[in-house]
Amino acid sequence: MDTSFTYRLAQEAQQEVLFLSGAIDNQAEPLFGELQKRVSGPSLILDFSDVGRVNSMGIALILRCLKHLTRERSLQVQIRGVNQINGMLFKMSGVFLMAKEVPTRTME
Amino acid sequence: MMSTTLNEAATMIFIGPSIDVTPGLDGLFPDSTDTVVRQVCCSADKPALIEEIVALIGEKDPAHTLLAQKAALMVDEMLENALYAAPRAADGSALYPQREPRSLLPDEQITVRYRYDGTHLFLEVRDSWGSLSQSKVFSYLAINTQETEPDPDRTGRGLFFMWRLFDHLYVRIYPGRETVVGGSLLLQPVRG
Repeated sequence: MDTSFTYRLAQEAQQEVLFLSGAIDNQAEPLFGELQKRVSGPSLILDFSDVGRVNSMGIALILRCLKHLTRERSLQVQIRGVNQINGMLFKMSGVFLMAKEVPTRTME
Repeated sequence: MMSTTLNEAATMIFIGPSIDVTPGLDGLFPDSTDTVVRQVCCSADKPALIEEIVALIGEKDPAHTLLAQKAALMVDEMLENALYAAPRAADGSALYPQREPRSLLPDEQITVRYRYDGTHLFLEVRDSWGSLSQSKVFSYLAINTQETEPDPDRTGRGLFFMWRLFDHLYVRIYPGRETVVGGSLLLQPVRG
């Protein structure tokens, strides 16, 4: 699962969802800058189901992205699909203070 | 590299339960013929080393998967520190930007040691800079503990993760000569 970082923006009902994939580390920085510009809002779900390793540099990217979207653009952002280790890191670093975790949508 | 006095005293910081740990590095990373030692030559060595350790643990059940994920993150953070945070100019500024691949200098060394006995994983990374200090270690742990207002640019987050995820964390610093960061991870049942 630890491949290069990619993302895909999609619509679920009338909700914008950003599907993130691969490892989130310093190599993901250019795409993180790009993806923020593509989001139109007013609310967004960040889906981490296909994300592998997130290191401290990746946490910094996520926090920067959330700060931009929630504080500067006033979007309501939610997070889903976080695995156990990344959930620990998100709690430790305050990611969940900026975006609430919601259950992953099950396939019907 | 910084000028060094070979006999300068080392700072040893140990964080974790003291039970069953004898003083010194031998107690924290018990020597064994199973210990694997790898010399890192460049930043491109990092993914293969991580894969090697993950493969050794295996991902046969949730407990092993979690241990492998923790190990991968720890090696990642320790090598990022050794490759990019440790090399410092005389004025203390970082010598290498973090997104650029780099090779080690001729007189620079990064050594990774690890051992897995089926229950414990011991990990250790040594760099030949010795640029970390005791005050920096405690400052990094303190500022990241106060995470009421998340700051993307907060420094020392990698060391903070090591402190929180390792069962034991140790840091030994010979100023200007060597920094050793190591710890152990325990295979633990995963709650459903």
